[in-house]
Amino acid sequence: MRDIPGRLGLEPGHLLAALAVTAALAFIMSLSVGPSGLGIDATGEARTLIFHEIRLPRAVLGALAGGTLGLSGAALQGYLRNPLAEPSLVGVSGGAALGAVLAIHLGLSQLWALALPIGGLAGAAVAMLAVVALAGAHGGPVTLILAGLAVSSITTALISLALNLSQNPFASVEMVLWMMGSLADRSLAQLWISAPFILLGGALLLTVARALDALTLGEDAASSLGIDLRRTRFAVVAGTALSVGAATAVTGIIGFVGLIVPHMLRPLAKYRPGLLLPASLLGGAAMLLVADVALRIVQPWVELRIGVLTALIGAPFFVWLVLRTRAELAP
Amino acid sequence: MRGACFRLALTLGAATAVLGQACAAQAQPAPTRIVSLDLCTDQLLIELAARNRIAAVTHLAGDPAVSAIPEQARGIPITRGHAEDVLRYDPDLVLAGPFGVAATVDLLRRLGRNVVVVPLPDDLDGVRVSIRAVAGAVGAPARGEALIGELDRRLSALVPPAGSAPTAVIYQIGGTVSGPGSLADAALAAAGLRNMSAAYRMRRGGQVPLESLIANPPDLLVLASNVDEYRTALADNLRHPIIRQLRQRGASIELPWRYWLCGTPHIADAIERLGQARAGIEARRP
Repeated sequence: MRDIPGRLGLEPGHLLAALAVTAALAFIMSLSVGPSGLGIDATGEARTLIFHEIRLPRAVLGALAGGTLGLSGAALQGYLRNPLAEPSLVGVSGGAALGAVLAIHLGLSQLWALALPIGGLAGAAVAMLAVVALAGAHGGPVTLILAGLAVSSITTALISLALNLSQNPFASVEMVLWMMGSLADRSLAQLWISAPFILLGGALLLTVARALDALTLGEDAASSLGIDLRRTRFAVVAGTALSVGAATAVTGIIGFVGLIVPHMLRPLAKYRPGLLLPASLLGGAAMLLVADVALRIVQPWVELRIGVLTALIGAPFFVWLVLRTRAELAP
Repeated sequence: MRGACFRLALTLGAATAVLGQACAAQAQPAPTRIVSLDLCTDQLLIELAARNRIAAVTHLAGDPAVSAIPEQARGIPITRGHAEDVLRYDPDLVLAGPFGVAATVDLLRRLGRNVVVVPLPDDLDGVRVSIRAVAGAVGAPARGEALIGELDRRLSALVPPAGSAPTAVIYQIGGTVSGPGSLADAALAAAGLRNMSAAYRMRRGGQVPLESLIANPPDLLVLASNVDEYRTALADNLRHPIIRQLRQRGASIELPWRYWLCGTPHIADAIERLGQARAGIEARRP
C-alpha cells in the first residue's frame, strides 16, 4: 500500500487488453502442447479427436476455472477488505468438493447429471456462509483465516469419511483428486455441465465492481453513496458459490490462484478493487493455463497435478505475505 | 515328505523362507482352524483346504468385483483382520499377504501363533510359488500340485503363433496402465500379446493420458473394469468419448480384476480370454 499509486498503474483499458492478449496466447499454447506431441498445425483423424475431445475441453476448463478463481479471490478480498481471502483458503473450495463427493457417492449424480455441479455449489454456499458467520462482518484477517481453517478441516474430514465409507476400492486415490485438483482428461460433457454455472456466477461477481470501489471508504460511506450492502453481500456469496462450486465439482480443489493473482495485479490496477475484478478474471485464466502448459512440458515420470503446481507456487507466496504483514504490524 | 520339501525349496530359491515355514508346519498335524487376512490367500485357501478347516477369511473373498470365487466364499465367517478379531477363532494357522498387515502379523507371532506370509506373485512362476506355499502350509501339497498341473495344462494349450505379437494396453480407473513386472503384464505375454505400456514412456506402470492413447492406440484395449461399475470422479476416464471411439474402432475387451488381481489358478481364465481376443485380431489381419 505504500507504493506510489499510479506509478505502476496502466490505463484500465490497456491493462485489460494486455491481460486479455496474455490469456489468449496461453489458451493457444494450451491447445498446442500435449503428450502426443501433435502441434496445432497437425492434420488427420487423430488430430480432430485430440483437439476436439481432449485439448479443447482442457483449455476451456482451465480458462474458466482459472478465471473464476482469480475473480472470486479479488471479489472476496475486496468485499472482506482482507488480503488473505481466497476461495480455497476460506473453505469455499473444500465445501464445493464435499458437495460434489456427496453427489457422486450418494448416487445422485447418476440419477441426474446436474446433481454434480449443484452439489458443488450448494457445498460452496454452505461453507461460504459458515465462514462469514464465524468470522463476523468486521472480523480481521486472523479471524477470517481461523474461520476458513475450521470450515476447511470440517469439509476435509467429511470428504474423508464419505470416501472411507464408500465401496469403491479406489477411494484413497480419489481423495487425491479432490485434494489436489486436475484438468487432465476432462471431457466436453463435464464442461457443458459446469460452464453455465461458472459463467452465471462470474457475471454476478462482476456486478459488484462499483460497490467494492465504494466500500474502500467504509460501509457507512458506501451506504451513503447509494450502495445496497445486502445486495452486494448476496452477489459476492452467491457468485462465489456458483462459480467456484461448479468449477471445483469438475476439477477438484485448485488452491492459491485466487490468492496470488489479485495480489500481483493490485498495483497495476491502481488499487481499485472494481478494476481488479476483470483484471483478476483474465489474469487467473492466464495463470492457470500457463501452469497447465508448464506441467505438460516439464514431464517427469508421472504427470504432475495442476493443484500441486499451484500450491508449490502459492505456498511460498503465502509465506511472503505473512512476513510482509508481520513487518507492517511491527511497531 | 521332508525330502520333497527340501527339493522344492532348492528349486525355488526365492521362496525358500516361505517354504521353510510351510515345511516346518507340515511336521505337525495339518492345521484345522485356518484364518486368512488377504484377498489372495483367501482364494488359495478356499481352493486348497477343506471347508471345515477354514475358520475365517476377509470380506473381499465374497466380493464378486475382486474375488474369482465369491460363491465358494459364501457362508465362511468373515474376519476384519485385526489381531484381536483373529484370536477369537483361536487359529492354528494364519495366512497373510505381504502388504498392509505387518503390525498384525508381528503381534500374532509374538503371541505365539503360526503365521505364514505368502508373497504376491508378479509372474506365472510366482503363482506356482504361492500355490505351493499355501498348499504346504495347510497340509495339502498334492492338491496344490494338482492345481498347478491344471494351470500348466491350460497355459500350454495356448501357445501363441509365431510372428509379431499384437499390442495391448490394460487401462484402468484413473488412467492407470499395468506395466512390466506385474502379473497382468505376464498374463498379456502368456496370451501372445505385447504390452504397449513402454511406448508411453513408462517403466513400471503409471498413468497414461488419453491423448497418448489415441495418438498411439494399441491393437487391443483391455479395460480392467466395466465402464459403469464405479460411478466416481476418478473413473470418469473410462467414460470419456475417446475411450468410446477407441472401442468402436479397434478390438477391446473388459477383463475384470477378479481374474488377475491375485495369483490364483484363475489367472488362466484371464489368459484364455486375452488369447481369444488375440486370435480375433489375427483373424482380421490381411
